[in-house]
Amino acid sequence: MKKPMIGKPDDVKEIQVDYTRLRIPFGPVHPALKEPVSLRVTVRKEEILDVDIVLGHVHRGIEALAENRNLVQTLYLVERICGICSHSHTTCYVQALEEIGGIQPSERALYLRTLIFELERMHSHLFLLGIMAYEAGFDTLFMFTWHVRENILDLFETITGNRVHHSMNTVGGVRWNVTPQMIEKTSATMKNVEKSFKYIYDVFQDKTVEKRLCEVGVLSGDEARELCVVGPTARGSGVDMDVRRDYPYAAYNELEGDVSVVVRKDGDVFARTEVRILELLESINLIRKILEKLPGGPISQEESLLKLMRKIPEDETVSMVEAPRGELLYFVKTNGREGLWRLKVRTPTIPNVLGLKPMLIGCEIADIPVTVASIDPCMACANRITIVDSANEEAKIVGLDALWRKRRGGEK
Amino acid sequence: MNTAATLFLAFPAVFIISLLFEGVDRKVHARMQKRIGPPIIQPFYDFIKLFNKERIVPVTASSRIFTAMPLVAAAASILGAAIPLSNIITETSIVGDLILVLYLLAMSSIALMVGGSSSGNPYGAIGFSRKMSMVIAYEVPMLIAIVSLAFNPCHSLTIYDVVWTQIKMRSPLAFSYLSGAVAATAFLLCIPAAAMAVPFDIPEAKTEVVHGILVEYGGPYLALIKLAKATSSFALTFLVVTLFFYTPALFEGYVSLGHGGNLLLCLATALAFMLLTITVPRTVFARLKIGQAFKFYWIIPLMLSVASVVLSVLGL
Repeated sequence: MKKPMIGKPDDVKEIQVDYTRLRIPFGPVHPALKEPVSLRVTVRKEEILDVDIVLGHVHRGIEALAENRNLVQTLYLVERICGICSHSHTTCYVQALEEIGGIQPSERALYLRTLIFELERMHSHLFLLGIMAYEAGFDTLFMFTWHVRENILDLFETITGNRVHHSMNTVGGVRWNVTPQMIEKTSATMKNVEKSFKYIYDVFQDKTVEKRLCEVGVLSGDEARELCVVGPTARGSGVDMDVRRDYPYAAYNELEGDVSVVVRKDGDVFARTEVRILELLESINLIRKILEKLPGGPISQEESLLKLMRKIPEDETVSMVEAPRGELLYFVKTNGREGLWRLKVRTPTIPNVLGLKPMLIGCEIADIPVTVASIDPCMACANRITIVDSANEEAKIVGLDALWRKRRGGEK
Repeated sequence: MNTAATLFLAFPAVFIISLLFEGVDRKVHARMQKRIGPPIIQPFYDFIKLFNKERIVPVTASSRIFTAMPLVAAAASILGAAIPLSNIITETSIVGDLILVLYLLAMSSIALMVGGSSSGNPYGAIGFSRKMSMVIAYEVPMLIAIVSLAFNPCHSLTIYDVVWTQIKMRSPLAFSYLSGAVAATAFLLCIPAAAMAVPFDIPEAKTEVVHGILVEYGGPYLALIKLAKATSSFALTFLVVTLFFYTPALFEGYVSLGHGGNLLLCLATALAFMLLTITVPRTVFARLKIGQAFKFYWIIPLMLSVASVVLSVLGL
């Protein structure tokens, strides 16, 4: 190097470059990721030395949008936070409104909510199992799993008219009733899919799949508790938690004896996958119980939605449900004038994505896709704003507090 | 037909047959997954479409190597496939052409490797190192399995000599000699890795390293690489048929199939072997990790190929 030196010779530092290390950008656009997240992975040959998780590529400002809408418009907005667990979001939001407004939905409505909830869990878990198979390079299992998932989506279409955004919930009840034919179709489908689920469980224990998933991406129980991971990610690491059992909501109160929590101790990718497969079978049991116990009566309130909305006073509350990916928490603060002061959404991916670092360090590059997929990340739910200064290519992440201050004009 | 004209015709024949084979592979793969699958001539559409696309060479790439390597890979594997094919048609061969064919096939993987690493992309670099390990893993058992032919009963590394031995015995080598059967098994086990099919598509695993060595390739370069891959899998399966499973030998002395019949029977056997060694594994297995694949190749196929050499020295 015989370049002219800039500055004093004292400023020139000897930089040690370790050429054995390679920093690979894993994302934000990568075939293994269904949504944009950037993992900056440092590797030596195939071994992972360090991981840096960068979020913020798809922030949509939903919480701010909610503050400019009325309560019912927000119901449709929160449904669009996630395409997979749309029903969890609306249930969580509607429960908060019902608690504030003192509205008691009918028994039948609660049971129907729970029915859709469990169907949604099945479709979400099947979706993930398919992706897991795809990431492990097992396309046939991927195709088969999604083939089975179509049955569940057909059920959604029969019951609610929509395959993805079901729009089932409304304040004080649900929007669609089920007919005896639908119940018959549901139980027939349950019979079909049960066989397929057992087959999927068998195939996941195939030797090549096991080689890819066992003892990969291990998250110990202590680390899981420390990072507050939730849902199947926590249950795979031996943390016995489930909102459905611990803080029952909707019809889970009455199904108390039937909710059984699947827990595995190993904490590897296979344990998390196994938890999900067994939860599929648990969901079938729950759905059968729901269809058996389904009470009669109205499904929504007699009063119109507009009148109900006007009745909701200024108050605040916290609502919690067990979404397919784990605990979903809403903080809702109404303003008493049909609108919201504040909506705070804490999706399960926010705590779960932190678990990726301890999982990935020490693994191989080949393990990244399956490990990332095993927490079932939903990035759109978990993002903060990143501001990139194109002049010097500096990126800074604006946290919630700063955003809050900016919006209120330094009020706080 | 004279030899020169046959050789000249062998190149377009290799092009058409190998792309058709790829089409059949994709169709059968889809049907096994309960999908409809693309039409059998889809690889031709892909080839033409890719050739009409823009040529993009990344700034970080060393452009000469990057653009030359797909051509080298395609040329080497087409030549590698054309030699055994024209041997069957003309019923002659050059002395020691088996070594040439194996070199050409190795050449095609090495060209892909070098081209991928010259792209300047970190995924290309990882793909390069993975491909290097894979080449070491499968080439060694493959070559040793071929070496067993040099002993008993052929005493030759010339393709048509091996075929002639099988015709004289009126039975394919794998059916008549234990050493032949063992060597054929080792060779067949090496085919999925050489053709870069799941579970051994580790160098270009799309969910892990974004197609690894192919990451920066597109347009005509990608078309050539796809052609090289299709041709080399055809070459490998056709080679295994000529060396170990020359099925026309079974009919020798009973019915005369003629030149065309022999060739068609060979192609049909090659297609069957391709479905067995490429399509079925890629349908029923998940992708392995590089360490697991390496271990597999250095335990089972290597042991088998060494055993085949020992057996053929013993005259079995």
